Amino acid sequence: MNRTLTFNIFRHRPGDPNSKPHMARYKVEESYGMTLYMALNVIAEEQAPDLAFDFVCRAGICGSCSMIINGRPGLACRTLTKHLPDQITLMPLPTFELIADLSVNTGKWMRAMSERLETWVHTQSDPEVNRMESTMEPELAEQIYELDRCVECGCCVAACGTARMREDFVGAVGINKIARFRLDPRDQRSDADFYTVIGDDDGIFGCMTLLGCQDVCPKELPLQTQLAFIRRKMATGGGR
Amino acid sequence: MKLIYTDVLVIGGGLAGLRTAVGAKRRGLETLVLSLVPPKRSHSVAAQGGMQASLGNCIKGAGDNEDVHFTDTVKGSDWGCDQIVARMFAHMAPKAVRELATWGVPWSRVNRGNREVVINGKQEVLTEKDIAHGLIAARDFGGTKKWRTCYTSDGTGHTMLYTVSDRAIAESIPVHERKEAIALIHDGSRCHGAVIRDLITGELIAYLARATVVATGGYGRIYGVSTNAIINEGMGLAIALETGVARLANLEAVQFHPTAIVPAGILVTEGCRGDGGLLRDVDGYRFMPDYEPDKKELASRDVVSRRMVEHMRKGKGVPGRFGEHMWLDITILGRAHIEKNLREVKEICESFLGIDPAKDFIPVRPTQHYSMGGISTDYRGENPTLRGLFSCGESACWDMHGFNRLGGNSVAETVVAGMLVGEYVADFCYAEGGQLEISTALAEDFLKREQSKLQAMLNSKGTESSVVLRKQMEQVLTDKVGLFRNGKDLEAAVTELKSLLERSYHIGVKCQHLGANPELVLAYRIPRMLKIALGVALGALQRTESRGAHSREDYPQRNDQEWLKRTLFVWPEGATEPSIEYASLDIQKMELPPGFRGYGTDNTIHNAETDSRKAVVDSIRQAGGDRHAIQEQLMPFRHLLPECYRDHNERLPEAQP
Amino acid sequence: MKTTQPSPWPARLDLAQSISGLFLALFMWVHMFFVSSIILGKDAFWIVARTFEGYFILGYAIPALVSMLVALVSSIIIIHAILALRKFPASAAQYGAFWSHMRSMRHDDTTLWLVQVITGFAMFFLASVHLYIMLSRPDLIDPYGSADRVWTGNMWPLYLTLLFVVEVHGVVGLYRLALKWGWFTYGSPKQARERLKSVKWGLTALFVILGLLALGAYIKIGMEHAREAGKLYTPSWLQEKP
Ligand SMILES: Cc1cc2nc3c(=O)[nH]c(=O)nc-3n(C[C@H](O)[C@H](O)[C@H](O)COP(=O)(O)OP(=O)(O)OC[C@H]3O[C@@H](n4cnc5c(N)ncnc54)[C@H](O)[C@@H]3O)c2cc1C
Ligand code: HEM
Ligand code: HEM
Ligand code: SF4
Ligand code: F3S
Ligand code: FES
Repeated sequence: MNRTLTFNIFRHRPGDPNSKPHMARYKVEESYGMTLYMALNVIAEEQAPDLAFDFVCRAGICGSCSMIINGRPGLACRTLTKHLPDQITLMPLPTFELIADLSVNTGKWMRAMSERLETWVHTQSDPEVNRMESTMEPELAEQIYELDRCVECGCCVAACGTARMREDFVGAVGINKIARFRLDPRDQRSDADFYTVIGDDDGIFGCMTLLGCQDVCPKELPLQTQLAFIRRKMATGGGR
Repeated sequence: MKLIYTDVLVIGGGLAGLRTAVGAKRRGLETLVLSLVPPKRSHSVAAQGGMQASLGNCIKGAGDNEDVHFTDTVKGSDWGCDQIVARMFAHMAPKAVRELATWGVPWSRVNRGNREVVINGKQEVLTEKDIAHGLIAARDFGGTKKWRTCYTSDGTGHTMLYTVSDRAIAESIPVHERKEAIALIHDGSRCHGAVIRDLITGELIAYLARATVVATGGYGRIYGVSTNAIINEGMGLAIALETGVARLANLEAVQFHPTAIVPAGILVTEGCRGDGGLLRDVDGYRFMPDYEPDKKELASRDVVSRRMVEHMRKGKGVPGRFGEHMWLDITILGRAHIEKNLREVKEICESFLGIDPAKDFIPVRPTQHYSMGGISTDYRGENPTLRGLFSCGESACWDMHGFNRLGGNSVAETVVAGMLVGEYVADFCYAEGGQLEISTALAEDFLKREQSKLQAMLNSKGTESSVVLRKQMEQVLTDKVGLFRNGKDLEAAVTELKSLLERSYHIGVKCQHLGANPELVLAYRIPRMLKIALGVALGALQRTESRGAHSREDYPQRNDQEWLKRTLFVWPEGATEPSIEYASLDIQKMELPPGFRGYGTDNTIHNAETDSRKAVVDSIRQAGGDRHAIQEQLMPFRHLLPECYRDHNERLPEAQP
Repeated sequence: MKTTQPSPWPARLDLAQSISGLFLALFMWVHMFFVSSIILGKDAFWIVARTFEGYFILGYAIPALVSMLVALVSSIIIIHAILALRKFPASAAQYGAFWSHMRSMRHDDTTLWLVQVITGFAMFFLASVHLYIMLSRPDLIDPYGSADRVWTGNMWPLYLTLLFVVEVHGVVGLYRLALKWGWFTYGSPKQARERLKSVKWGLTALFVILGLLALGAYIKIGMEHAREAGKLYTPSWLQEKP
């Protein structure tokens, strides 16, 4: 208890011509139950009021606060300092546009991904809101929810060597979305349709099965399984 | 000067804002959404428990309909709501759920046959009807007569927000992220858009629109410890207040949720109790039945919260490192249920408390949770005093929640309001006077004014620290404008908040940078937060009664004689505090005249008109007839709805075994 | 939805890469078993070698048959290598990005990929030498011929390296193949991976040990036969009794 934590934090404001990327060091007294969210707030309140970082829900549900924590991507708000050594290095997520310090533009990336993969239910008809809803098997609903739990935090992209090398790669997040919509009977797209958005080397065939995604996903989505599944479907059914 | 023109400007990318945008866009209007954060990070994502809609599919929901939902909502509001709006809402909620179902929300579904549930601490077996198999399921929630809360496991808000957000992308609605509205552009009677600050570059841009919709969510963060996201700072309300024209309503109506974890204040859903979880005290004793023998843990939120504090005051709280708390026990639900239906709860317990909720009790305490107050609107979502300014979702006081909102009614409100306000906004734009009518000079005035304010803030030699001011504000609100309130404390709170507001004009900013500069952001937000805080305290001080979540120890009775009123706040140019007006609720128009809410003992001071209205209502009901016809006679509302939404909702035949 | 007809080639190339890899990996196992027949004795290896030359079907040996097999395998390797080349870091920047990523992640499967790239790259050269020899002198595949090449011809350092390189590359490739297509991945993703990983280590160890034993046997024979290097082996049943 009561360790003094040393934070090495990446500082840089690309919008500011005077700013140069560097690592800054801050010391923080650890408190009981401290999370990185709390620690960064202490630093911002007492030592670096202009330190930029993103938190929204601070409860591990919105996906805003992903950063590289001692080398690996993770959600800062639900990372307890007691699970870390007393030297803590924080870097912004790579592959996303840097806004400042630890803040990156995951939203922009995700929107582009969504537009490219058309991540919505494609139906012909408008909802009939006065009628009974169509039925769905309870297990199927659960399976869809299982894949729908992604919070678009970008950890899987940051953990992916392929994405690091090739900036147009859609990442596990994108491929998982396709798996989610493919599973959904309300989405009337066929495999050939899915192939048009994901059947190339920026899509499923770009994935080299490095599986960093699977190991860092804070929602523990079954990415490994879904990537393999979509690859099978796209390799056999899609490319015609 | 950068100007951007659009037809409809929606400020806020949560459920309410996005659904409104989809509606307006589908009516052929150019629509643009602004958000502080990527829309899918909006706080709507955090709603775990569910969305109320009277589908009546599951066995415990059989017999449910709009009437029952309406009644629950009005009672929940402690008769403080606008009953027309509550009616429109109850009528629309099933449509909203079904629309979302078509768009892709993977609602949890009814599974035919037997299943084990925990009700009132005991295992029971429910048998779901064959005919309901695969329809949308519902769970139990506080303050409702039927099981009505539709859900997707415990990620309801997440799946809803992702679906609606993806819908907005499908409709090619641009969302300008990391943009903050810092002022509304208006000419004293009509709103023309907003001045926006780009949070990345610091640039100011004027967005000009025919209609402006504020859907910026709640203001819980003025309390510091809150279940709300940290971006819920009430900025949308503040900029409306700062017009000096638009009115805010019912700010004092602040809800405290019984079960936020200690100390982080992160919510564990009401679904925990809905699914059978219990509250226990320091001795492990289940105390709620002693206070509320009827609804027990599932009494209305404000009631459960107060009972917990009462019980703690009797010395039955659990002492802890961070003050006293109570236990929430979901161990009785079993591991399988928790891992399937309460997974977020489990994750939160593991990540933030280091406990296993299938084995251990969860330390909880009532914590600020929801803002019933907001920008005052009519049933169309428009502000009555500033034309062209609309609001919906938690930032609005549309007034279907009155003084206490029911769990599950809020995300339902966001989409329902979005569906309706989207139509009304379109009607407004297409009606006479709905064109864009603004001189660029006015826009530039507003831009310059905001620019110079920010510059002044940077140049200020002020010595006040925004961090200190913020902490003091949070402390004042938590200590003096909390769950239980009294005149003495409230008076002190008002005085202290006024002095904090005065001091906040002298905040010094160290980092002289107009771009991504969190220090500057805090500096300009603090005075605005303080204005809202002052409104809350002042409203609470002046309202000398107890209604719903507003509970005065010195005025424990609900006083319909004097306080069946909406509180309206306006901040005249140059004033040091808001002025307050009141608008009465008309009992003669109520479908459900004021009555006993059903908790504790009835100590209401009744209004003289209540009895006469009751007599009218009773006679209409006695005459009998189809429930829709009766309703139509009591309080017609359908004509107010957009035509596409007037039809009845289809349900399973109610008599099915 | 996009209306332009997408190219079917990405799918085909991905399949081709996996199929070629799978073929090569399985071929190498078979190859290793045949080559290690030397452990059982010179006769065993002689039979294996002659089998491939069609001796037992035709009654006489056509070494060119082996050349054809070598040519086939070589072309598959070339195809495989070209396909793999697409995945190689294309620039110093990409390589740098991967390298720093790998170092900070400290993540097995990411690191293993670089191992595959490096071993693949190494095989480019090592395997070419070996294949060229096999292509040009198939007739020298023989208990003595091979042993002389290994020892007297100083090929053993190359084989020793190639052995490790190819076994690591091939088995890691198979492991990745299973995960890539979701074979043998029942149970939770984590369990599946742990299981496959242990199988992977097991197979690597098995084939490396087998290869080392075989190489040892060649070296031993080669040393003993060094003075007569160049002379081929006559199976024991055809040898004239001394
Ligand atoms: C922990 C928690 C759990 C909940 N669970 C439930 C539940 O189970 N059921 C239920 O019915 N309700 C629940 N609620 C309440 C419900 O989630 C919210 O009331 C509702 O989602 C609010 O939606 P909204 O669209 O109005 O606002 P939000 O979702 O908060 O969105 C506000 C938007 O406005 C933007 N914004 C804010 N200020 C500005 C500005 N100045 N300029 C530009 N953009 C701005 C933000 O970026 C954001 O996009 C819960 C609330 C909490 C806190
Ligand atoms: C000169 C030669 C070779 C080179 C340059 C090479 C390179 C590579 C590379 C870079 C990969 C990874 C591809 C990816 O991640 O998508 C790979 C995969 C693979 N290689 Fe090779 N390799 C060569 C020869 C061989 C040989 C001889 C074998 C047989 C033992 C082999 C078996 C495999 C297998 C099974 C895979 C997995 C296939 C897949 O992922 O689809 N390779 N190779
Ligand atoms: C059809 C093609 C091939 C033939 C006919 C062939 C044949 C042989 C033969 C006869 C030997 C024994 C030593 C010798 O005679 O020199 C040998 C050894 C070896 N070969 Fe091949 N080979 C082929 C392809 C490959 C390939 C593609 C690789 C790897 C990329 C490879 C790797 C090795 C290794 C590592 C050894 C040494 C084995 C040991 O440890 O004893 N071979 N091969
Ligand atoms: S798949 Fe997992 S890691 Fe990737 S964005 Fe979604 S939640 Fe984050
Ligand atoms: S880390 Fe990357 S390469 Fe594939 S398996 Fe995951 S997306
Ligand atoms: S702040 Fe929302 S996940 Fe961390």
